[in-house]
Formats: sequence, C-alpha cells, structure tokens
Amino acid sequence: MKILIADDSRVMRQIVIRTLRQSGFDGHEIVEAADGREARDAVLSENPDLVVSDWNMPEMTGIQVLGALRAAGNTVPFGFVTSECTPEMQNAAEAAGALFFIIKPFTPERFKEALSTVLG
Amino acid sequence: MTEQPTPTVDDLREIAEQVWAAYLDPEGVRPFLVGEPGEPGTAVSASVSLTGGWHGHVVVSCSSGAARHAAAAFLAMEAGEVSDEDMTDVMGELANIVGGNVKSMLPAATAVSLPHVVAGADNRFPTTRRICELSGTWLDEPFSISMWQGRGLAEVPAA
Repeated sequence: MKILIADDSRVMRQIVIRTLRQSGFDGHEIVEAADGREARDAVLSENPDLVVSDWNMPEMTGIQVLGALRAAGNTVPFGFVTSECTPEMQNAAEAAGALFFIIKPFTPERFKEALSTVLG
Repeated sequence: MTEQPTPTVDDLREIAEQVWAAYLDPEGVRPFLVGEPGEPGTAVSASVSLTGGWHGHVVVSCSSGAARHAAAAFLAMEAGEVSDEDMTDVMGELANIVGGNVKSMLPAATAVSLPHVVAGADNRFPTTRRICELSGTWLDEPFSISMWQGRGLAEVPAA
C-alpha cells in the first residue's frame, strides 16, 4: 500500500514513519507532504491508499485538506495525527469522514489500534 | 471579565510524562527529574503562542546539551550525529506537542501557532506573566516547560 504522511514537521513525519514500522505496518510505500496544499496535491497525483495527516499545517489545515478531497469526490481513507485535541475537532474530523484521530504524543500500540482496520 | 482557566504545573507534569514515555524515554531509564533546573548555559527555547479564547505562550527551554539528547531520541540517532537543524526541529515539535495538549484545557476558540525556536539567547514575552513552570533536569541537563499568560487579559499583577 501507499501511505501519504502529511505534517509540516520533518521530525514528526520521521516519527510517524518509524511508529508505523514499530507497530507492525512496515513494507508500505511512503510519500511525504510538508503542508496542507502539498498533501492535497499529493493525494491527487500519487493516489495513496491512506493519508495520515497533521491538523495544524501551513497553507491548508488537515481538516481543510480532507474537506477539499471529499468535495472533489475523493474517498481516500484519511486520519489525523495531531497534538491538538478538542471535542469540536474530533467531531469535525468524524463529520468530515476521518477514520481515526491519534493524539500526540502517541505510542506504537495506539497506531496499531487505530490503523489495523485500514492496513490489516 | 470572565475568569480564564489556568493550566497548572500538574497539567504540565502529566503532559511531560506522556512525552517522555512516548519519545524521550520510552524504555523508562532516562526520566525527567523535577527539581531545581540549574543554570542552562547556552539555552534553546521553543514556544508556541495561544490566541483567541486564551492568550499566552507555552515555552520549552533547555540547555543545548539537552536539546541535542532530545533530537537524538526523537530521530533515533546518536547525539553526535545531531545537526543544529535537528535540534531546532525537535524543540519546535516539543513545544507544538505540549501546546497542543494544553489547548485542550483552554476555551474552544483558542488557536495554537506554529512553533518558534530561539537558540543561544533568551526568549522574552512582553506583557505576560509566568503562570506555571515544570522545571528540573534530564540527563543532568536543565529542562523546563512553562506557561505565560497575557497580562492585559489576565488582569493580574506581574509575578
């Protein structure tokens, strides 16, 4: 599978990739995006099987990316990994069609729990 | 004026425990020791600003040695391999994680800025006061997490 990791933090992209591996989801092709607009464009050009996205990013926020994709008819499985967590954000993510909402700091166990239905 | 919520040092301690368990000390052998931080020497300070429903800053400060250890832990590298960019990025991410978690305790309209990192100089926040600080040492290096609230809205005297 191809997984798009969207986060403006290079460090966090590396940690997400490492945590995917630690939680048993290795061997997947990884594509990275450093802001929201890059993420939206990468979904359209790379056609990933899953998007793991930060919420607070330059250019477009993660929820704006998800909204834009769904508005364009794109149904790629999409979930958030974010340090910000309010009930309003979680409700907005769910309403927009997000599959999971992982809060930083996270553990490999949390990744496994959240992603097992998507990545098997 | 409506009284604003004020996160406490216990809130910072709980967030720090999660950060250490996930990234800085996942094996539980290099804990953050709360206490006197000592002199930081050449310091690195990372912050995010909170605006909207609450006004202030979350600041993560430490010695350059601690920042190097933090970057090594985050990036699974040896401390000697860490670049200045690695240290800056990791410190910014630490501030982002702590700030994001603090946000969940504040009014819904509060927004978190992108992180700002200062190395080798003091990070100052005019018209604010420090409302809580978790300080101590990590790997014998000074480390602190503090919250600064805008005084104009808090209507409280400076500390």
